Amino acid sequence: MVIKVKNLVKRYDELLALDHLSLEVHKGEIFGLLGPNGSGKTTIINCILSLLKYDKGEIEVFGKPMKPESYDLKRDIGIIMQNVAVFDELTVYENIDYFCGLYIRDKAERKRLVREAIEFVGLEDFTKFYPKKLSGGLLRRLNIACGIAHKPKLIILDEPTVAVDPQSRNKILEGIVKLNEQGATIVYTSHYMEEVEQICSRIVIMDKGKVVATGSKEELKGMIALGEKITVETFAAAQPEHLAELRKLPGIESVEWHDKLLSIKSGKGRNNLEQVLDFLKTRNISFGRIYSELPTLNDVFLEITGKQLRD
Amino acid sequence: MFGHIMLTRMKCLLRDRQLMFWTLFFPLILGTFFQMAFSNLDKTESFKPIAAAVIENDAYKNNSFFRQLMDTVSEGDSRIFNLTRTVTAEEANQLLEAGDIVGYYTADGNQVSLTVKSSGINQSIMKSFADQYLQTSSAVEEIIQTNPQALQNGILSKLSDELDLMKEVPIGSAPLSLSVNYFYTLIAMACFYGSFLGLKEVTDIQADLSNCAMRVNMSPVHKFKAFLAGMTGALIIHFAEILILLAYVTQILKVDFGSKTGYVLATAFLGCVLGLSFGSLISAAFKKNENTKTAILLTSIMIGSFLAGMMAMNMKYQVMKYMPILSYLNPVNLLTDALYSLYYYDTLDRYLLNMGLMGAFAAVFCLGTYLIIRRRKYASL
Repeated sequence: MVIKVKNLVKRYDELLALDHLSLEVHKGEIFGLLGPNGSGKTTIINCILSLLKYDKGEIEVFGKPMKPESYDLKRDIGIIMQNVAVFDELTVYENIDYFCGLYIRDKAERKRLVREAIEFVGLEDFTKFYPKKLSGGLLRRLNIACGIAHKPKLIILDEPTVAVDPQSRNKILEGIVKLNEQGATIVYTSHYMEEVEQICSRIVIMDKGKVVATGSKEELKGMIALGEKITVETFAAAQPEHLAELRKLPGIESVEWHDKLLSIKSGKGRNNLEQVLDFLKTRNISFGRIYSELPTLNDVFLEITGKQLRD
Repeated sequence: MFGHIMLTRMKCLLRDRQLMFWTLFFPLILGTFFQMAFSNLDKTESFKPIAAAVIENDAYKNNSFFRQLMDTVSEGDSRIFNLTRTVTAEEANQLLEAGDIVGYYTADGNQVSLTVKSSGINQSIMKSFADQYLQTSSAVEEIIQTNPQALQNGILSKLSDELDLMKEVPIGSAPLSLSVNYFYTLIAMACFYGSFLGLKEVTDIQADLSNCAMRVNMSPVHKFKAFLAGMTGALIIHFAEILILLAYVTQILKVDFGSKTGYVLATAFLGCVLGLSFGSLISAAFKKNENTKTAILLTSIMIGSFLAGMMAMNMKYQVMKYMPILSYLNPVNLLTDALYSLYYYDTLDRYLLNMGLMGAFAAVFCLGTYLIIRRRKYASL
């Protein structure tokens, strides 16, 4: 077990930020913490890192209690914070070298690690640039390089892709998977469900300081009643009797028509695309494009909490 | 590790242009302005002899006392008058009309009259001179008539003497200077501008104040060790800045700091420690944004400098006279006064008192900072 949090309670005056929260992070996994803004993701990270005081509970990292003076544990942790944490007065190289130097005493080894980190995030052409001269995406990559240069066993990334262009986002996500393949355990927090779905092997969904669901993305999707979602682009207005007939088809949970789009939701585990297509053909209903989607983590969150993930 | 952190922190401070302007270039510029404003303050105002005339009529020729007096005051480097002797009043009037003389004296028996065309300081001096002559000659006449014996006892020489009951005693071997205190307050202010360096160091080590500090707090380095390394770097930079300022003020602006160079350097060093620790305490104690803290520091330093006599020299003496405790509670004044006492006094008593109090203040500031920043977990971030 890399991280074990048991019954953690954290209050900010009247606000209960973490409500008896428990979770476990296993060695070698990419662990996703998914939840809307204000759900307590950053708070739990800061508590794990022993930066924040908490009211109740226990935290263990690498099997030992985590304390501010646990320097042996800190040596194996890399942190990439939500806000970029680099010095404006230092160049890209100097920033990475400074933070790496807090972990690595040997100058030659440090130099090698800094070079590797620069190559890893693709900042070779920007080593002499000051942070203010970098774009948002490059700055985020520098932020990551500062956190991983010392080759930590546990890497915690707190919303590392906020305000990042798609190209840099993909580069960052690919990098995280690569770090995991190299042996690092990853804790990844985000409110972007697509990212969590894309890279995380196990996911915890949080809301209001509580864990509302845990599991792999398949396990999480299996927890809800919703199955396939079919959307049909129609050329004419849907007749009420057609909608009523559709609702009577086996496995169909709901049918709605709005703005020339027919939305059909089916129950768990059923593939209804074929029977819907048959229905449209037999009733001579002309249609354009058809989309079929499997449920997302947003659907999971919606069904469990009754609200959208990005509310 | 200590060296790695210290050198990197020094790089950060040296590359912060705003910080370098306020802690190094601003005091240099202000010192230059001080020199331009106060360079004439110590120069004694020179007295130029007054262009005057006397009519050499019979009465003047017969009044040997007045004649001798006029000869005396119009001779030598310290003469009062550049005297023109005319034969007639018309001639003197012409000179007066032409503006060649300020006024002229006319003797009439034992009396002397003064003719001027306008009023002014030189005319007033000529009138005072005439009045004093008339008073003295009248007194001599009175003595001759009532007690001629007194003349033989040297009464005449006593009449011309002025009795001064005050004696000027120098408090040290240094020459009196009205402007040096301004430069001492400048050095004190510059030392306290080091508080901006202290502020930055604390901001970059307190996880609840900056993101970089959060990262440092997450590293396997003891927080106090990292802070100490940063502060050592800041102290080296700040002391170098003060040495540059001292060199500029003494070597370029030629301001006299006396001969006790070692003590001056020790004072500057303690001043740097005091400034840095003051800034770090304010930064640690107030959980406000950096601009607010900078405003607090700037206001405190300006008030301290004002009370130490930076804007009005008299203020230092007024505070000492009416509220002496404030002089001892104002660290800027203690620093100014330490340099002042080194310059003026031959003994070190007052200097050591100032240094002792500065040391106590620095200890309080450092202890306060330590007690605040030693916590390693925060209630909120």
